[in-house]
Amino acid sequence: MMQVWTIARQMIAEGIRMKIALVFFVLIAAIVFGLPFSVTGDSSLTGAVQSFMSYSLMTTGLLLGVLTIFMSRSLSDEFVHHQMYLVVTKPVARWQIILGKWLGMCLLNAAFLLFAGASMYGMVYYIKWTHPPRDEVFDEQELNNEVLVARHARDSQVPDFQALAEAEFQRNLEQGKYDQQPNFDPGKQRKNLAGKYEARWRVIGPYETREFLFDNILCDRSADKEIQVRYKAEISGYEKDEIFRAVWRIGDRAKGAQAYELHVRHVIDRFHTMRVPANAVADDHTLKVTMVNVNPFEGERQAGNVLHIRKSDGIQVLFIVGSFEWNLLRLLTMMMCKLMFLGAVAVLMTTVFSYPVACLTSFTVYILAGTRSFLEEALEFMTGREHSMFASVSEFAIQSVAHLYNMVQWVIPSFSHYDAIEDFVNGRNVSLVWVLTAMGELVVIKTAVILGLAILLFYRREVAEVSV
Amino acid sequence: MAGTRLPVVQTAGLCKTFKDFWRRPRVEAVKDLDMHIHAGEVFGLLGPNGSGKTTTIKMLLGLLYPSHGRISLFGKPPTDVSVKGRIGFLPEESYLYRFLTARETLDFFGRLFRLPRRIREERTTHLLDMVGLSHEAHRPVGEFSKGMARRIGLAQALINDPEFLILDEPTSGLDPIGARQIKDVIRQLGQKGKTILLSSHVLSDVEDVCDRVTILYGGQEQAVGDIDDLLCQRDVTQITIPALSEETIHEVRELITRLEKKDADVTHPRHKLEDFFLQIVGQAQAADIKTSGARAGGEVPEFLQTATASEVVDLVGSLVAAGVKPEAPVAAITRPVVKDHVDPSSDVLNELLGKDQNEPDEPDESPMATTTDLPIAPAKPPVSADSGVIDALLQGEPQASEDDESSESNT
Repeated sequence: MMQVWTIARQMIAEGIRMKIALVFFVLIAAIVFGLPFSVTGDSSLTGAVQSFMSYSLMTTGLLLGVLTIFMSRSLSDEFVHHQMYLVVTKPVARWQIILGKWLGMCLLNAAFLLFAGASMYGMVYYIKWTHPPRDEVFDEQELNNEVLVARHARDSQVPDFQALAEAEFQRNLEQGKYDQQPNFDPGKQRKNLAGKYEARWRVIGPYETREFLFDNILCDRSADKEIQVRYKAEISGYEKDEIFRAVWRIGDRAKGAQAYELHVRHVIDRFHTMRVPANAVADDHTLKVTMVNVNPFEGERQAGNVLHIRKSDGIQVLFIVGSFEWNLLRLLTMMMCKLMFLGAVAVLMTTVFSYPVACLTSFTVYILAGTRSFLEEALEFMTGREHSMFASVSEFAIQSVAHLYNMVQWVIPSFSHYDAIEDFVNGRNVSLVWVLTAMGELVVIKTAVILGLAILLFYRREVAEVSV
Repeated sequence: MAGTRLPVVQTAGLCKTFKDFWRRPRVEAVKDLDMHIHAGEVFGLLGPNGSGKTTTIKMLLGLLYPSHGRISLFGKPPTDVSVKGRIGFLPEESYLYRFLTARETLDFFGRLFRLPRRIREERTTHLLDMVGLSHEAHRPVGEFSKGMARRIGLAQALINDPEFLILDEPTSGLDPIGARQIKDVIRQLGQKGKTILLSSHVLSDVEDVCDRVTILYGGQEQAVGDIDDLLCQRDVTQITIPALSEETIHEVRELITRLEKKDADVTHPRHKLEDFFLQIVGQAQAADIKTSGARAGGEVPEFLQTATASEVVDLVGSLVAAGVKPEAPVAAITRPVVKDHVDPSSDVLNELLGKDQNEPDEPDESPMATTTDLPIAPAKPPVSADSGVIDALLQGEPQASEDDESSESNT
């Protein structure tokens, strides 16, 4: 282990003394300490803090990713400038050299990430104390309850639209409604019916009431604690004053829980959070939330708008499960997992290729991992037409790329699966299970496989290789 | 003598073929090389550019893999990590980390050998002193001149007190002082029983320090053997004496013509430029003229002056076999002094000296001692340039001194 540590120390020393790491350190410091003075978000305190955290974390992650790839040049340089001759002729196994290089990169990244995290934490409180208040009490409460916390979110239960569609389909079939339809497609018909039921459920017309049920609300149900109900006021038409008025009833008296009624005026097209005491949650950890699309405020105009609950922005119940500090630490761990994986990729590439090629391939993997979700959607769209691969040249090219991508995607993880920045900024809990999953996939499996491959190739490689 | 020692390096049918991008064989750098280097031997690897010297060394170190054939170092393959702990390597260029200081460089390599901190620090200090760079210990190696970097390269090769030292062009880029110092170090390490493989274009270096050489050409071994055997010109006799008058020279020539029926070529020998240079620089150093470069080196550190493990094993074996106590240091190399090859020149010499032919020679006392065909060892340097190492050589153990003196007298 001493040799691994020696190689790692040397890697860190090189990063610092050759000024690569110092440049990135200055950049990160400039961003973390400079952003609070240039980013204001929506001018609210919460907005300012969220914008700052979001930009600084994303930029730090990106910069450290680039630093990781640049740092891998150390290994490549040792081959090119032959320092490797002196290292491999010492009693150091080649796996120790690979592991040492990777460890050096990881330690430097960890140090920078901790620095960025600690600085960001400090600057959050700096913003909190110095931001010009709109409403001092509200601003601070909003920040403390919705951002500087770790909240767990539960989505409402959704009716079984497929079952509803099937029942109607069978009724229609019995009544012979499809007998006269040319080219009748039962599957398509079922899909259309399910879509219809879902669309109906997701809109709440004027004077309509909709119940949303939540289960597993595993929070402290004391009256002095609180739960939050979050929704987006997306409506069919704009009010003149851009305010949506409604009544929300939270809690189910039938289950012995406390019920609260809230009359709300909410700016349309924005997310809103309603806070109620946690004793609204029933003993069986369920919660009933009822929305009544009616204006409770006398003398104010009732617009009669339709509220649309989108699938992606559904109603959620949130409850606090941890502190901001531990959430930040878990987020940084998730970011570190990605950097560890990227470090292994960079080491593998520099073991096999010269630096420009290694740099390019490492960046390609980084970009593929970062945009995998988008690429999968794009490829699915391109290849989902059920055409033969040999139908045309373009079809052949598209499907070849898709097949190639499918072959490598088991190695290249989807970084978006482990992108917790948005959740963190919104005060959502970065769960330990999520972190452990990231560690399992990114570090224990994929990093180990890639480092193993790098070690294998390094053992096969002639360090003084001459190609004529 | 070498045959009785353990082979440190053995190669059998060693071949290396370099291939092109398409893996087609293009160059056969080494062909069917059988090489044996025995413990305690200073072995020279000679050959013109592209003869396969460096390729052979790289295969011995596991930097290149043989295309065919086998290599054994201390009985193990060169890729075996345990073997590498017993090897020191100075490559043809000093491939050091530019951002590390001289001290950090030695500490880094010491760590790779898993040397404890105290030993690392001691050896680093001693080695920096030995290579004359203790005053530049905290300067980044990237700022060093080529020669200074070579000195650090040598120091890193010795940090583990290696049993087997591989030196590829060790004097390349060095000033005459550094080159002389390296030769002194090689010689002293050789006397202390280290096995050394020396590859060099500078034939005088090899001639000065090596016991045995092999000459490669086209990747194949062309000649191998003891350097004295290979270089001895037995059909020529050289006599060295203080300057004679023209009259005496004339008489000597006549005498030789009369007795031997041969013509003698009489000239005044020249100083070696190396010796003259060392004398001038030694005077400058004595005057304490400032320099930011390397200074005169110190003595070879004590930790390098101990018998190697393999030799101890060898010694035990030989003691058991012979049942006798060795008188000399375990690893002392005795050079073959050609004393049984004095006729007929000795008669001529004795006549010149007016000496009784039955009186034994006193080669250690007289500058015109014995007749040999070529110098066996270099002359003592005239002044104190690089005096630490050189004095250590001359004032070392009795066996070593004897060897040196006899070498001097033979010149």
